[in-house]
Amino acid sequence: MNRERFIQDRRNDWQQFELLVSRLKSTRQSKWGNRDVATLSKLYRSICYDLSLVQSREWGARLEQYLNDLVAQGHNCLYRSPPQSIRAVWDFFAFGFPRLLRRRYKPFLLALTLFLVPLLASMWVGYARPELAELVAGKESIQQAVDSYGKQLYTDADTRYSSERSRMFGFYVNNNTGIAFKAFSLGVLVGIGTCVVLITNGISIGIIKGAILAEGNPTADNFFSFIISHGSFELTAIVIAGAGGLVLAQGMLMPGQRTRIDSLKFHGVESLQLALGAGGMLFVAAMLEGYFSPLPIPSIIKYVVGTLLWSLVVFYLTMSGRERPVE
Amino acid sequence: MSETYKRKVDTRVVVETPEGVDFQFVIAGPGTRAYAWFIDILLKFGILAVVGILLSVFGVFGDVGENFAQGFMLPAGFLMDWFYGSLFEFWMNGQTPGKRSAGLRVVRTNGTPIDLISAIGRNFLRTADMLPLFYTCGLISMLMTRRMQRLGDLVFDTMVIDERREWISRTGGLTANIEPLLRSECPRRYSVPERTLAVIERLFESDRMISDARREEIAKPLSEALRRRLGYQDPAPDPRNPHTFFRTQGFRHTQFILRVLKTFADDPGGSKATPQGSSDSKSAAARLENSRRVFAPLDESREVAKAAASFAPAAAPTSGDRA
Repeated sequence: MNRERFIQDRRNDWQQFELLVSRLKSTRQSKWGNRDVATLSKLYRSICYDLSLVQSREWGARLEQYLNDLVAQGHNCLYRSPPQSIRAVWDFFAFGFPRLLRRRYKPFLLALTLFLVPLLASMWVGYARPELAELVAGKESIQQAVDSYGKQLYTDADTRYSSERSRMFGFYVNNNTGIAFKAFSLGVLVGIGTCVVLITNGISIGIIKGAILAEGNPTADNFFSFIISHGSFELTAIVIAGAGGLVLAQGMLMPGQRTRIDSLKFHGVESLQLALGAGGMLFVAAMLEGYFSPLPIPSIIKYVVGTLLWSLVVFYLTMSGRERPVE
Repeated sequence: MSETYKRKVDTRVVVETPEGVDFQFVIAGPGTRAYAWFIDILLKFGILAVVGILLSVFGVFGDVGENFAQGFMLPAGFLMDWFYGSLFEFWMNGQTPGKRSAGLRVVRTNGTPIDLISAIGRNFLRTADMLPLFYTCGLISMLMTRRMQRLGDLVFDTMVIDERREWISRTGGLTANIEPLLRSECPRRYSVPERTLAVIERLFESDRMISDARREEIAKPLSEALRRRLGYQDPAPDPRNPHTFFRTQGFRHTQFILRVLKTFADDPGGSKATPQGSSDSKSAAARLENSRRVFAPLDESREVAKAAASFAPAAAPTSGDRA
């Protein structure tokens, strides 16, 4: 077969394919006819063959380019990513995420240490060494935090604060989840950013806690009854997102038997799943923080609910998705 | 799969499809991607502004409404920050509106479409790529990888390809301002074999860096043979304005074979007018300009002479001493 004959023979198919693809591209995938799909895949395969023929016989770069474009268009039409179902999302949060976290417990423990040690240390500083705390966090911000919890602000039922809840909910989603995602994504730069985010957040939370403890009741009572409920989801999620970042850093720093890029790819998806799971938890935390924590109810109820929520989180992360032991 | 690429100093990457065919992607460079990014930024601000204006209606309800509006606005901003790119890339098969306007698409490095988790991941890691300023980390990573991937692309195994087609029709932009041969100008025959057209095409291919003078030299035997076949005679000089005749004599063989190409080489896919036609002719002109600058003594004459001899035995003596 020579080039001329080949083009004459195949021209109709190419034209038909081009028309078909341009038609299918402008219609929704669910409305594609059975005949069209069958014709498309048949034509696509034959054009793939044409392309390899033209490549092997070197029948001109433009013809090759033209067929290459046809193949690319057909490829885009035929191969799509699998649709994601709601079911898959549910399965992930119900089983996949806690399972993944238990498998990746080492980076989680490391992230926990990076968060908890500065938190406890700075809590002690805020409690026992207020002058040092003021050096670290600034006098005004500490004073502001202490004042804001001293006046029963958040537990008042007046309209101003109840209407403010939606705004605060939006703020918590934006701010906290942003911090968590940042802690994750900075992991790719060998994890320095992740550590910085974890440690600085630990320090700032710890100092406020310590300062408020030093202030004594009723400030301390207001504060701790406020944070105990949503803290369960919020603090855990920040640590998990940090663990995600550390997994990325592990991929970068300790490739093991893989090449560095392969190792990044290998760890990438799981680290992202950790961060997304943390994002889901932070959404729950923002709901609690916006709508439950500031409710004007006796603080003892909040302590009870908070304890229940903490045990729920621990139970969820340690037990959910476990296989039943085979008897 | 991805190991089957040929080592070349250009932005093409060869990917093997499941059908066993190698096909090429053109990798998008930082400039085009920055353009797409800029369009996306504008669009993001536009969307947020529209949402904000719509929500300002709630201001009527006083403090409660205002707070509600803000409670909606902040998550909207959050969504734009972290999920704008990924959701668009998932729904629009690897394109955001900005990428679509720039003709870019995100695909996995094996050429298959991007999935949701990769789309989210590569857009999350934008935070790291932007550091410390103006996407420096991403740029360094792009310079160091063959597929010009930023960190997000590297970790989630994606690449950004440029889909603007370089050749819309077979003749491309080469013959944009060339007049076709009229039937009345060719008293003998009005057809040229496909093979000859292929040879002419090859003569103008961008990767054959030939000077215009050299191309004219190569075109000469082909042009002469074609003139004999078609019975074409150069029009006599216009007696009123003889200068134009000499002005066109410089590259008259090149001009002639381009006219042949324009007249007889129709696009195998049908020569439809395309919206991108103008930009294509521009890039083809740029390519010609480029080839004009670079000298590379390629021996094309043998091939040309063979093609000329194949249908015009009368031309044998001239091509004989070359072949």
